[in-house]
Amino acid sequence: MNAQPRGTTAHRAIPHRAGARLRGTPKAQPRRALRLVAPVANRARRTPFVVVLLTLIGLGLIGLILISTAMQAQTFQLARLSSQARDLQTTQESLQRDVSELKSPRTLGPKALWYGMVPSQTPVYLRLSDGQVIGSPKPAEARTNLEQVIR
Amino acid sequence: MTQQRLSRRRLRFCLYVFIAVFVVFAGRLFQIQALDMGAYAAESVRTGTARVPILAPRGKILDRNNQPLATSIDGRDITADPKLTGPNAPQIAKILRDQLGDKIDYFATIDRLRKQYYDRQAKQYRPARFAYVVKNLPAWQARNVMDALDKCKECVGVIPMKVGLRNYPGGRLAANLIGFVDAANRGQSGMELAFDKRLTGTAGKTTFEVSPLGVRIPMADTTVKKMVPGTDVISTIDGDLQWYADQRIAAGVRKSSSDWGLAITMDIRTGQIIQMSQAPSFDLDDPNDRSMTDVMNRSVEQAYEPGSVLKTVTMAALADQGKIRPETPIVVPKQVKVNEYRIGDYWQHGVLHLTAAGVIAKSSNLGTVVAARQMTKRSHWSYLRSFGFGQYTGIGLAGETHGILRSPDGPRGWAAANRATIAFGQGISVNAIQVIRAVGAIANGGVEVTPTIVEGYRLPDGRRVVVPRGPTHRAVSREAASIVTRMMEQVPRSDGGTAPAAQIAGYRVAGKTGTAWRVNPVTGRYVRGQNTVSFIGFAPADKPRFITYIVLDKPYRNAGGGLTAAPVFHDIMSMALERFGVLPTGSKSPKLDLDW
Repeated sequence: MNAQPRGTTAHRAIPHRAGARLRGTPKAQPRRALRLVAPVANRARRTPFVVVLLTLIGLGLIGLILISTAMQAQTFQLARLSSQARDLQTTQESLQRDVSELKSPRTLGPKALWYGMVPSQTPVYLRLSDGQVIGSPKPAEARTNLEQVIR
Repeated sequence: MTQQRLSRRRLRFCLYVFIAVFVVFAGRLFQIQALDMGAYAAESVRTGTARVPILAPRGKILDRNNQPLATSIDGRDITADPKLTGPNAPQIAKILRDQLGDKIDYFATIDRLRKQYYDRQAKQYRPARFAYVVKNLPAWQARNVMDALDKCKECVGVIPMKVGLRNYPGGRLAANLIGFVDAANRGQSGMELAFDKRLTGTAGKTTFEVSPLGVRIPMADTTVKKMVPGTDVISTIDGDLQWYADQRIAAGVRKSSSDWGLAITMDIRTGQIIQMSQAPSFDLDDPNDRSMTDVMNRSVEQAYEPGSVLKTVTMAALADQGKIRPETPIVVPKQVKVNEYRIGDYWQHGVLHLTAAGVIAKSSNLGTVVAARQMTKRSHWSYLRSFGFGQYTGIGLAGETHGILRSPDGPRGWAAANRATIAFGQGISVNAIQVIRAVGAIANGGVEVTPTIVEGYRLPDGRRVVVPRGPTHRAVSREAASIVTRMMEQVPRSDGGTAPAAQIAGYRVAGKTGTAWRVNPVTGRYVRGQNTVSFIGFAPADKPRFITYIVLDKPYRNAGGGLTAAPVFHDIMSMALERFGVLPTGSKSPKLDLDW
């Protein structure tokens, strides 16, 4: 039962928690006078410990549920937002295509002709510094240049 | 005691069982981890991971002002699982037809939604599990279709699949130059083919872990191999000028009842092609509008005989050898007979006394033949080679023809008749870019540049790379070039020139008309009464910036370059000068004596 050497049995009588530390103390120490010490409760109260544990476990579980719920919600949000982003990208692309088609000469050219504009056939420049007209200006006449347009 | 022994034996037995089990486990573990490691790892990767490719968008083709000529957009192929769609095919087809209109055929769509295959084992037809319903829809259109299908509860089994789509905002704009792609987005013609490697990006890949049911495991490993989008190609084309030239050459073709027409404008100093038009053309945005003859890029793919335009090159060769000047007197005979062939001018005349400038201004074949006799055929040939005839131009477009320039010597060499006709551009075949490059060299002081259609690239990271200019070389001396330029300035003269319509008010214009006999491609013989007419010219003649070349094939009978091609030249050149802000130099064209 007990692995202590026989010579130390005297110490076993000491009802002190520190007894273990005193085991193996060299015999050479002077003997102290024996005195009464207040007894130590040999067992801590169980209830608070269990409560703490349960609380921790409970909190952990709740945390876990919260995190996983949040993650789930975020996943849904992510899916929703990425689909929204895709949708917007698609819309942007379609609008961009419309813009590049509308500003392409194939749309602008015929429109300009329809409004009665005529491509210039005589390049003329106005020099802003001295107001000089460079070139020989000639009025552009309708139906002299482009009469019909292939689309 | 016996009880204790029994218990010990039990204990030992259990121990042995445990050891045995552990040995088996350890063995298996060793087998899995050390021996068959690769196979198992691969198996786990195969079943436990999913790979999704990320499509790399194809690069854009832009004009010189960064306006898009060809772009990539997100597209969808609408596919179906006929096992699911079969029962409700009419309903689904109706929704598709409502959404897409004429893009699909109602009955053909029903057939696709009910696609079947023949099961050989069961010896009966079964519904297929995959079928294409509509291909290449823009993503927004596909979205509308799917939204409409979602409203119908029974319409299940229709699946959109992501594809890259090519979009050409300009439609017919520069269609022959830009070219098009096939269903797999690979270039098939024009710039799309020539720059296919650069335009094509590198597809990426996402790899993520999935459960055995194929559901993505959240927070698990995901690796992404980044896709690299294609490089944008910035062409040298000016979109607005291109549109105008497209229209103008189409009008020219219509007016002269020609088979086809070409209009090309090049920046003389850099070799940049700023406009390359062709009529008839085709609509890049309409995949059904692709006839073989309209799709070819005639500027590089069409070989033809250039005719009188080549007289400028003959004169440049003579001037370079110091054998001719604008005022050199030439006695032009009534006609020349070489072997059994008779060569004449396009107008009837007696013996004429023309100067060299007069020969060019009036486009006299006989005068050119007489002048060209001053050089040997070998020397004539080497000048033509030096001007780049019979060789590729280096423009880098696919399908280029190098034309035909036969060697002067040998059994198939130039006969006396060839030598005479090549001087005025018959018996030699060329492509249009060769002509514009050669005459461009005369405009550029005798230095020939390499024509190009690409200004630079815009890399995926936004950096711009400028394409270095191609090699240049001197074809003739500066003096020779200047002599020929002065001669060419007499062509647009109202008194005696062949193309007064080419005059641009305020500018000095140098040019040359061309009327070539047309070769029937089937028989290889000239067809009487059929011509290829042309006009090439540059401006301002004393400080050249642009050169424009107009070709009209098989116009109405007796049409000449001066009446048909020169007006088109005038309009396109005026527009080019104005758009690029090229000011008139203020000087007047010299009036040289045309006869003596």
